[in-house]
Amino acid sequence: MKNRIWGILMVFVLFSCAEPVEKKKERIDEKLKVITVNYPLYYFAERIGGEWIDLKFVIPTNVDPAFWNPDEESLKQYQAADVIFTNGADYAQWMKNVSLASSRIVNTARSFEKQLIKLNTKTAHSHGPDGEHEHQDRAFTVWLDLKLALKQAESIRFHLSKRIPDQSDGIDQNFEELKKDLLSLDSQWLKGFHKYHNQIIIGSHPVYQYLARAYDLNMESVHFEPDEFPSVSQWSELDDLIKKHGSSIMLWEKQPSPKIEKEMNDRKMKIVVFDPCGNKPPSGDFLSVMQENTEAIVGR
Amino acid sequence: MKQSFYLAIKYLMFYKFRTMVLTLSIGLILFLPLGLERLISESQSQMLARSDATPLLIGAKGSSTDLVINTLYFEKNKIEFIHLGLLDTLNNMDLGYAIPILSAFKARGFPIVGTDLDYFSFRNLSIASGRNLQLVGECVIGSEVAEQLDLSVGEHLVSSPENFIDLAGVYPLKMHIVGVLNPSNSPDDYAVFTDLKTNWIIMGLGHGHQDLQALNDPSLILKKDSAQITASAKVFMYNEINTKNMDDFHFHGRMSDYPISSVLFVPKDVKSGIILRGRFESKELKEQIVVPTVVVENLLQTIFRIKKIFDMVFVLIGIATFIIVFLIVILTLKLRKDELFTMFTIGSSKYKTVEIVGFELIITLFLSSSIALVFYGLTGFYIETFIRNFII
Repeated sequence: MKNRIWGILMVFVLFSCAEPVEKKKERIDEKLKVITVNYPLYYFAERIGGEWIDLKFVIPTNVDPAFWNPDEESLKQYQAADVIFTNGADYAQWMKNVSLASSRIVNTARSFEKQLIKLNTKTAHSHGPDGEHEHQDRAFTVWLDLKLALKQAESIRFHLSKRIPDQSDGIDQNFEELKKDLLSLDSQWLKGFHKYHNQIIIGSHPVYQYLARAYDLNMESVHFEPDEFPSVSQWSELDDLIKKHGSSIMLWEKQPSPKIEKEMNDRKMKIVVFDPCGNKPPSGDFLSVMQENTEAIVGR
Repeated sequence: MKQSFYLAIKYLMFYKFRTMVLTLSIGLILFLPLGLERLISESQSQMLARSDATPLLIGAKGSSTDLVINTLYFEKNKIEFIHLGLLDTLNNMDLGYAIPILSAFKARGFPIVGTDLDYFSFRNLSIASGRNLQLVGECVIGSEVAEQLDLSVGEHLVSSPENFIDLAGVYPLKMHIVGVLNPSNSPDDYAVFTDLKTNWIIMGLGHGHQDLQALNDPSLILKKDSAQITASAKVFMYNEINTKNMDDFHFHGRMSDYPISSVLFVPKDVKSGIILRGRFESKELKEQIVVPTVVVENLLQTIFRIKKIFDMVFVLIGIATFIIVFLIVILTLKLRKDELFTMFTIGSSKYKTVEIVGFELIITLFLSSSIALVFYGLTGFYIETFIRNFII
């Protein structure tokens, strides 16, 4: 009898301690809603904001976030967010065509705007009364310069601390840990890339501009897709580059198809997979992908 | 008593025209000061409610009244523009948040207001049908715009061209109506809301045209080399933004240099508001910052001075009316001399005569008051028009 009473009491105590589901949901709703325009920023926000933010990533895994266009549902998520961390450098052009609250948009590249790389693809045109105007793009994979990535992370830390002042100590601590990881990776890359200084590396895509500048690499780029066999003219463009620079290394965003790999081997070109990791990787995270990149460089 | 009332009614009904004129005149005299008082007091409370709900406004140096009227009522005054870059500066001060306003164009007589999504949550504007803004080229219309133009979600609204002669200049933009707002009894009911970028496209700062690289018609290209293409004004410009041509729309120059009319600033707290005002006062920022309530109160004070003149006029008219009514009563009694004599002859007392005439006056005054009350009630429907035509 005594045991039964104790049992009932225990159940009562347990139930009274348990948080109602609705209340729990409300608590999650109260969290700062954060969304980003690419995976590196998502990763930084996740590492820094941790459990104190309600972080969302709505970009499908099979697309490049730089050229993705959100559907109505995804756009609603961006509109509902309290903070939208953007990459700057004209990344995610879709933002120019949508309505968002400007006070919630945080350009993480704001502090190094002058360090952004302008691309040599400008075309000036004029028509009508406006006179001549030009559209010049800027290279956007800023996070491949890990010191710039750190500045982006700093911007995230600053804005999260500002919006969740109660957790600023925890946010600072998380940031310091991330900073340590990024700086360690940075020194590995500095050492790893050192051996390539006397040669010209070819990039399969023009996405390595910041990497080349930060780690003192001489790079040329073509427009090869890893899963799409290049045309004759594309191969000829590559051959010209090899002939001109005597290059023997090509950086790829993903492992190219066996057919491309064979062609590369025929040209005595080494394939180095260096994934910019703009989107969420199928496994692992930003840091593990960058570690794989490091191994690909150092391991050669 | 009952008989006197009956006789008074019968008398007034017999002289229908005279009763009507007298009732209407007294009614109007009673209504005018009351109506004006209501118009002014309700306009005052409505205007102050709008300005009280707007903590701070920032705009180009110049008339503070024009700035407030343009931003709060989207009316008339075209004020000098400021740059969008200021918005970024303000948002990065950590003193609150800034909402941009660009009110310079109209669509079928209603102001087009370029802003961002914060405006809707700040003003507590909710969507009655459809959805809020998502893409450029879309608009959300106020309840009065929808009603007066008989428009609904899925239809289009074309921005009014600024200059019909400038055929190669600003093109009217066909905007998709994606939402209709619930009534808010404010100027927002009379506005067409778009994203700032849509407004810039109307301004001609952004535009969409045929891909110049892919043009086949040689008459469209004046000059072409590897770095530059010069197209003629004949190149086809899109007058509507849809999913097919959206990517062809582009903006020229730095966005931070783009124009906005003003910034509505919502400080975190009173202290932040004061700090921000201090930064403008100390010339750290070159634009002007105003507290809308102060500006509106100044504006209303001017109106109150005019109201005092009106009040004096009404007092004089009231006295004149009272004298006229008194004269009418005296003259009526003179005219009714024979009638009153007959009443005396058949045995009616002097008191009865006074009672009948008294009832006639009471009924006339009652009818006049009723008319004044009806007019007073109707005044409520014209407050918005009064504010628009006489105050702003």
